[in-house]
Amino acid sequence: MGFYKVHSATILGLKVEFVQVEADAGNGLPMFHMVGYLSSEVKEAAERVRTAMRNTGYTMPAKKIVINLSPACVRKKGSVFDLPIAVAVLGAMGRFPEKAVEDILLAGELGLDGKLQPAEGILPIVLEAKRAGFRCCVIPKSNEDEGRLAQGIQIFGAETLEEVCRWLKGEYMPQMEKPDKEEAHGTEEWDIDYSDIQGQEAVKRATMVAVAGGHNLLYVGPPGSGKTMLAKRIPTILPPLDREESLEITGIYSTAGLLKRENPLIWQRPFREVHHTVTRAALIGGGRIPSPGEATLAHGGVLFLDELAEFPRGVLEVLRQPLEEKCIHLARQQGAYIFPADFMLVAATNPCPCGMAPGPQCTCTPGQIRNYQGKLSQPFLDRIDICMEAPKVEYEELTGKGTGMDSRGMREKVMLARMRQMERFQEEKLTKNAQMGQNEIEKYCRLGKEEERMMRQAYEVMNLTVRSYHKVLKVARTIADLEEKEEIDLAALREALGYRVMDKEYWG
Amino acid sequence: MSEMWYTYWLACVEGITGDRKCELCRKNGSAEAVYYIEEKGIREQIITEKEWGILKESKKKRNWREAYQKAADRGIQMAVRGQNNYPKRFEELAGMPYALFFIGKMPQEGIPSVAVVGARRCSSYGEKMTLRFVERLAESGIQIISGMALGIDGMAHRAALNVGGKTFAVLGGGADVCYPAAHKGLYKDLIKRGGILSEQPPGTPPVAWHFPARNRLISGLADVVLVMEAKEKSGSLITADMALEQGRDIYALPGMVTEPLSCGCNRLIRQGAGILLNEEDLLEELVIKGLLKKKNAIISDTKNKIKLETKENLVYSKLGLYPRGLDDLQRETGLTPQEVMGICVSLQLKGYIQERSKNYYVRVK
Repeated sequence: MGFYKVHSATILGLKVEFVQVEADAGNGLPMFHMVGYLSSEVKEAAERVRTAMRNTGYTMPAKKIVINLSPACVRKKGSVFDLPIAVAVLGAMGRFPEKAVEDILLAGELGLDGKLQPAEGILPIVLEAKRAGFRCCVIPKSNEDEGRLAQGIQIFGAETLEEVCRWLKGEYMPQMEKPDKEEAHGTEEWDIDYSDIQGQEAVKRATMVAVAGGHNLLYVGPPGSGKTMLAKRIPTILPPLDREESLEITGIYSTAGLLKRENPLIWQRPFREVHHTVTRAALIGGGRIPSPGEATLAHGGVLFLDELAEFPRGVLEVLRQPLEEKCIHLARQQGAYIFPADFMLVAATNPCPCGMAPGPQCTCTPGQIRNYQGKLSQPFLDRIDICMEAPKVEYEELTGKGTGMDSRGMREKVMLARMRQMERFQEEKLTKNAQMGQNEIEKYCRLGKEEERMMRQAYEVMNLTVRSYHKVLKVARTIADLEEKEEIDLAALREALGYRVMDKEYWG
Repeated sequence: MSEMWYTYWLACVEGITGDRKCELCRKNGSAEAVYYIEEKGIREQIITEKEWGILKESKKKRNWREAYQKAADRGIQMAVRGQNNYPKRFEELAGMPYALFFIGKMPQEGIPSVAVVGARRCSSYGEKMTLRFVERLAESGIQIISGMALGIDGMAHRAALNVGGKTFAVLGGGADVCYPAAHKGLYKDLIKRGGILSEQPPGTPPVAWHFPARNRLISGLADVVLVMEAKEKSGSLITADMALEQGRDIYALPGMVTEPLSCGCNRLIRQGAGILLNEEDLLEELVIKGLLKKKNAIISDTKNKIKLETKENLVYSKLGLYPRGLDDLQRETGLTPQEVMGICVSLQLKGYIQERSKNYYVRVK
């Protein structure tokens, strides 16, 4: 009888904080008391633990039991503390050897029957435990696959509290190390492909250019023209994730509770479609201790905003920081949280309320069209480099065989172009053409005489602004990279001019 | 220049006619003197009591010196009656304003001007014809005057700009108020390559009753007025009436008798207006009238022959007055998407086509 200490962890935002669960069983009025800045789900652990222990065959002694979760200044959230609390109490009752849990981290929720329930955020916790030098992690069986992704740390996927107790007493030896399952971080396979899209070669090409240079993209087109289809396939041509990125993204999804139990590793770049009724908090993350929002869930992949014109301005404005800085800072009373948010922004809009402009079927008045397009926020449009029309699909295309570019061919080109960019920007702090500022543009987007002349002409005829002029140059640089050319040529400039985002005042 | 703001003040005063303002200036010597007319002027019969009241009120309204400076800083200039830049064509007419505000340039004297007016909700026939006539006129060095409204007016300005001609818009609101807002791009181009004129003080919103008065300026600035499309009762016919009173020649574009948009034009023709049949006739008549020098008139269509590469020509031939998308063009020409887009961009740069909506193009030449 006495004092016992167990290691566990909690997640604040996306950061893992280690927590020590201490239990003390001493003389006094029999009671079960928990302290340590606990959220209500942690406080409720008392009832779960007590019942689970009884159903496992341990009776709670008639002692004054105090549980402390330290450090006391960190808010404890989540349900992973059930198991460590139970083990600490049993330890304090003298059921386990003194040093049994010294370099072991425990996390998991208990059912009343003593079974361990799946919990959220296991992967980041295990990863952090490995970094901190723990020997072993005890986690619920259903999270075992997820935990094993960390590699290089022993994982005990326990099914019941009893199993854990028997192990700690030395009566049972679970299989801690399993051969790495190949499919757990297996090959990338997609059930969607750009060859599913008939025709639309021009906009597929524009998409490829956008991906190659990391440019943000806007589709304009009538309803049913496949804007969403086009956007959904972008992850299939983005460079494949390497293991580190993959673990980072899996960690984020684990925290958000969005992970599959089987083959939990995320090897597909995420695609997050956001509806226009989304709130700011849902988009960038919110809460007293913020949980990640859509922008963070799209980290490493694509954030897709359909019906851009319907989004309230305020909601779009909050995306400006992640678009510039590739991360989100959320300041709370407890401290500041930083979430990663390095995504490719893809937006889609109809050209007018009925969607058919400028065709003859359009039933909107010029005023309606102007109002509709006026809703697009200019600062937001300024952050989009490529704008392309997604045309209505014609009958012949609908019935035709899948032709033209497929994802594989497109990705190969994208990878080559990305490589050229990496080489070029070796000495700079950037990796993609889209990140170029004015200085880099001057340095890397030099034009020949002919090209210079054409841009001057375009500047006047097409009423380019300084900003749109620079955007055209950046996109032209990417096109030249795709075509494996050193210099930006006339064809690249022409294509880039075709992709430019038109000034709103010239629309309609 | 120190007393320019007095002139600005007088030009902005509402409720006194342009002619009367001129008379006051003449009698008193200058706008500055008018500003300092004292109450005893009423007894001396320099000014009526009502006018004195209006002037007194307007002086209190704002700091006119500052207002003038602000307007000048925004590039708004003035053409005052009696000064060099005031249109000579106004001098023989009654009811013309004391001063015009303008941004950009004023129409040049000694160069023929043609006003083009027509319906806002015009047909593609009206648009196409406007394009055809105005381009030839502008190429022949004629200044095009219109009102920057949607439809025919806007097309007329665009057509003149397309061929690098001079064109001027007379607005119903202040010269610094772009109306309609959809023509913001056109408005900027007009300032660059022509001018925006108005008799209303800067900042005046475009209210409906200013427009008939504005129409008298459009016809007043022109030697000839072309009515492209007009319904039976329309602003374009008001302009035609004004033009008749001012002794301007009127030409109307004939159309089907069943077509409401042509009714006004056909009626004008019945009343004796000239008929617009083709550009050559119109130019020849202008030459006969002595408005245009023969050597300037581009009678035959030799200059405008399209010099394009084969592929460009192929794409160009598929374009018309209705916007067409890249996808259609690509299907019909059989070129690759990049090729089609490249060609569309270069046609755009050469001024043959315009992008009306994202990747939708129309022929403008």
